[in-house]
Amino acid sequence: MSIIGDVIESTKAIIKGMSVTFAKIPQQKWTVQYPEEPVTVQPRYRGMHLLHVDELGREKCVACYLCAAACPSDCIYIVAADDPRAPTERTGVDERYASVYNIDYGRCIFCGFCVEACPKDAITHGYNFELSVYNRADLLKTKDDLLITKQKQSLNYRVAFADEDVDSEYKEV
Amino acid sequence: MPAELIKVTINGQEFETDKGARLIDVCREKGFAIPSFCYYADLALQASCRMCLVRIEKMPKLQTSCTITCTDGMIVTTESEEIEKAQRGMVEFLLANHPLDCPVCDRGGECELQEMVFDWGGLEERFTEKKNYAPEKFLSPIVANDPQRCILCKRCTRVCDEWMGEDAIEAGGRGSHTVIGTYGGWLNCSQCGNCIEVCPTGTLLDATYRHQTRPWELSRTISTCTFCSDGCQLSVGSRGGEVMRVVARDRYVNGLNGEFLCIKGRFAHPFVNHEERLRTPLIRYKKGGKLIPATWDEAIRYTAAKLRAVLDAHGGESVGVVGSPRLTNEANYALLKFAREVVGTNNYTATEAFSLVPFFENLGAPLATHKDIRHAKTILLIGGEPEELQPLTGRQIRQAVRNGGAKLVIINSVPIRLKHAASQFIQIRPGTEDAAVLALASKDDAGVAARKLNVEAGALEQVRQHLNDAQGDVIVMFGGELGAEAQSLLAQLSFTFGEKEGRRFLLHPLPLFNNSLGVHDLGLMGGALNPLEILDAAGAQLRAMYVAGSFLRTHLEGREDALSKLDFLVVQELFQTATTEHADVVFPAASFAEVDGTYTNNDGFVQRVRQSIPPIHQSKPDWMITAMLADALGTDFGFQMSSSAVFLELAKQIPAYEGLRYPLLKDESNPVQARHALVGQRDVSAQLVELRSLVEGIEETGETTTQTPPVGHELFKLGTLTSKVPQFHLLAAGNPEPESVLISPLYQITIDPALRDEAAVAGD
Ligand code: SF4
Ligand code: SF4
Ligand code: SF4
Ligand code: FES
Repeated sequence: MSIIGDVIESTKAIIKGMSVTFAKIPQQKWTVQYPEEPVTVQPRYRGMHLLHVDELGREKCVACYLCAAACPSDCIYIVAADDPRAPTERTGVDERYASVYNIDYGRCIFCGFCVEACPKDAITHGYNFELSVYNRADLLKTKDDLLITKQKQSLNYRVAFADEDVDSEYKEV
Repeated sequence: MPAELIKVTINGQEFETDKGARLIDVCREKGFAIPSFCYYADLALQASCRMCLVRIEKMPKLQTSCTITCTDGMIVTTESEEIEKAQRGMVEFLLANHPLDCPVCDRGGECELQEMVFDWGGLEERFTEKKNYAPEKFLSPIVANDPQRCILCKRCTRVCDEWMGEDAIEAGGRGSHTVIGTYGGWLNCSQCGNCIEVCPTGTLLDATYRHQTRPWELSRTISTCTFCSDGCQLSVGSRGGEVMRVVARDRYVNGLNGEFLCIKGRFAHPFVNHEERLRTPLIRYKKGGKLIPATWDEAIRYTAAKLRAVLDAHGGESVGVVGSPRLTNEANYALLKFAREVVGTNNYTATEAFSLVPFFENLGAPLATHKDIRHAKTILLIGGEPEELQPLTGRQIRQAVRNGGAKLVIINSVPIRLKHAASQFIQIRPGTEDAAVLALASKDDAGVAARKLNVEAGALEQVRQHLNDAQGDVIVMFGGELGAEAQSLLAQLSFTFGEKEGRRFLLHPLPLFNNSLGVHDLGLMGGALNPLEILDAAGAQLRAMYVAGSFLRTHLEGREDALSKLDFLVVQELFQTATTEHADVVFPAASFAEVDGTYTNNDGFVQRVRQSIPPIHQSKPDWMITAMLADALGTDFGFQMSSSAVFLELAKQIPAYEGLRYPLLKDESNPVQARHALVGQRDVSAQLVELRSLVEGIEETGETTTQTPPVGHELFKLGTLTSKVPQFHLLAAGNPEPESVLISPLYQITIDPALRDEAAVAGD
C-alpha cells in the first residue's frame, strides 16, 4: 500500500479514538481526587478493625477467642486475663478481658468473620483503609491501634449516609 | 469366671452381651449414641439427668438406660420421636436457669452441656421468667465456682465421696434452688480438683487457669506426672511455649488414672515457666565466689578440665555421681554410663528417700498394678500414707473397699485417714513397722513382736488368718519405714503363706518419687554408697561430685557443709537449691515438660514423658548435658542427640526393659510393665534371724498419737517445685478463708512470711 493510504488510515483511527475522548469530557467525572478529597465509603465497608468500649469506657471484649477461632487466615492473637477489680474500675466489661489483642494485617483478608463471630459486638470493621507501612512488622496492630478510643481516624474518608446512593454514583459510566 | 451371654434387641438388631451388663454401656458399645450427664462409669448411680431415656418393651414409661441391667430377650428402642421429645424437654429444663455465658466461661469449647445443646437444644428459650442469680465465687484458692451453670448431675459430689473419701462438697437447698456447696463455705479438702475435672459444665473451674485462654488454643501433649510414684497420665496444655494447665480428661488421655489427678499433678505445674528457672550455665571460678553466667561451651570445657584434673590426681574412685528419682530413665542411664565408662567409679547413687534394693533382690511375687488394687479382695498396708504420698493408690484402695468390697488391713503408727475404710486397723508404736513384718513372716515370733508393737497378739494372729483365708488378689503395700531385712521378708511373703487355690499375692511398694522404680531398675541405687554415705565421703574419699538434681532436705540435715568440702561440684538443676549453693558449676536442666523420656511407676509401668514445650531459656535435657560432658572428656556416648537412642541402648543393657522401644510405649491406655525378675523362693532364714535380733533391740518407749494428721500435711508441703505455685503457699499456711469469696484469695491474703518459711522447712 502506498504511503498516502497509511496516512489516511491512521488519521481515521485517531479521529475515531479522540471522538470517544472528547465525547466523555463534558460527562460526569467519577475519579476521586484522593487524597485531596475524601473518599466516600459505604456504611458496610470493611476497613481496619475497631475494638469497642461501653458507655463507661470499658472494653467490650471478653477475650472469648471466638473471633480468633473464626478467622480463616489465623491472624488474630489474644491473651486473656483476669481483672479482679470492682466492676466500675475494670479494664473490660467482665472480669475476663483481653490483655493482648493483635491483628496481623499482613494476613487479614477483611472477610468480616470475626465481626460475625463476636458475641459481644466488641469488634467491628472500621473505615480506615490506609494500612501501608514501610516495615512489614508494622502491619501487626495491637490494642493500642485497634481500640476505638485510641485509633486515629484518617481524614481521607467520609462514610456515606445509609440512604445515600453511593453505588450508582460509580456505576453511571 | 466368664459371664453368661444373653440376647438383647436394640433398635431391631439382636446382640449378644454379658449378663448383668448395664444397658447404656451395651448400647454405646454397639454404636447407638445415648446422651447422658450424670452417668459415670465406676461411680454410684445417680439417674437425675434423664438424658439417657430409652423405650423398653413391656415396661411402663421411658426408662433411664443408665440404671437398667440387661436381661435376656430385652427389646430396646433408643431413637424415636417420643424419646427425642423427652430429651429435648430435659435440655430445655437444664437451661431454664443457665446464664448462657459461654463467652466468659472457662469450660467453653469443651463443655458437655454446650455439646448436648448443639444436638438436643432448641433455637429459642421459651421461659421468660427471671433466672436464679448467684455470683461467681471461689471455694478455695484452687476451685472456682459459678453456681448458675450447674445441672446437678452430682458427678462432683460422688467423686469427692467415692474417690477421695472427703465428702467436702454436697448439694444443698431444694428444687430449682439446689446448689453445690461446701460445709462452711470454704473447701478444706485435699484440693485434688477431680470435681473440676468431672464437672460437665463450667460450674466448678480451675482457679489457677481461670480466664487464661481457651481449650482449643492449647496444644496438648500426653505425658506422665512428675511428682509421686503412681505415674498418672496427664495432658499438658501449652500455648506459645508456656504450660497453661494440666488435665487428665480422658477424652484426650486414657491412662491408668482415668480422670483422676491429685493437687500436685494438676496444679503444681507453674514451676516450669517460673521466672527463677536457671537461664544459663553458671560457673563459680573461685571457692566462695559468685556463680557467674557462662556459655555452654565455656561451662563444659571448664567442667571437663576440672574433672580431668581430679581424675588424674586421685583416680576414678574419687569422683561421686549422683542421679535423681525425679529424672527420666534416660537421664539416669546417661549418668550411670558416665560413672562407669567415663569416670570408672562405683561411687554412684540417686537422691532417693529410701532404698528398695533388698525388696527387688528377693521379689517373690509380681508387682500389683493400680487396676489390680481396684479389684483386689484383700489389701494389707504396712506403714506409709498413700492418701498423702501416692494419692492414686489411695483412691484405688478406697474404691476397692467401697465399690469392690475389699478387706483393708492397716498397720500404722499413726491413725491415718484411710483408717475409716479399714476393716482392721492396728496402731503400733512409732518405728516398729519391722516388728509387724516379723510377726507376719514367723508365727513363733508373734509374741515378742506384739510386745514391741504394743498391740494384742490376737490382732496379729487375725491378720495372719485374714491372709491365710483370703480369696482373690491379696495386695501387700509398704511405705519407707521398713528396714532391709523386713523388705526381704515381705518380698517373700507369698512363700510364707504358701500356694492356695484362688489366692494370688501381689506386691506394691510405695516409694516417693515419679521415677523411684526407674533408678532401682537401672541399678543406680546399687552403687557402693548410699546418699548419706556419699555425703559423708565428700572431702575424704571423694574429691569431686557430679549431681543431677539435688539432695533431699533429709539427706542434708546435719550434713549441711558436706558438699563444701569437695574440690569440685557440678550440679544440673532447674532452680537454685541448697545443693547448688556449694556448686562450682551449675548447668540449667530442662524440666519434664521440655524433654522426651520415660518414667517407671510403682506398678513397674514404663511410661512416656513427652516434650510439650521447647526447653526454657538455655536449658538442655539432663542426658544431653551428661553426653556433652562425656564427649568433652573423650568418650562419645553415641546418643546422636535423641532420647530414643538413649532408651534403645538402655533397653539393651537393662534386662527388665529388654525389647522395649518408644513406639511400644506409645499407647497410654495399655501401659507396658517392666519385667522384673521374680526370684522364686529364697532362703531368708538369715534375714529372719537378723530381723529378730533387730526387733528384740527395739525400745518399748515410743508414744503413739491418737490424732489423725490433717489433710494435706504431706501434700501441701512446700518443696522446690511446689513453692513456685502461689496457691500452695496459701494451702501450706492452713488454707485461710478470705474476707470475700468473690475475689481470688490470692489477691486478698498475703501470707505471713514466717508461716511460709515454717512450711518450707517441713517440705523437701
Ligand atoms: S469474639 Fe468478640 S468478645 Fe470474643 S474475643 Fe473476639 S472481639 Fe473479644
Ligand atoms: S457451662 Fe457450658 S454451656 Fe454453660 S456457659 Fe459454660 S460453656 Fe456455656
Ligand atoms: S457442679 Fe458440675 S459436676 Fe457438680 S452437680 Fe453441678 S454440673 Fe454436676
Ligand atoms: S445418665 Fe441416666 S439419668 Fe443421667
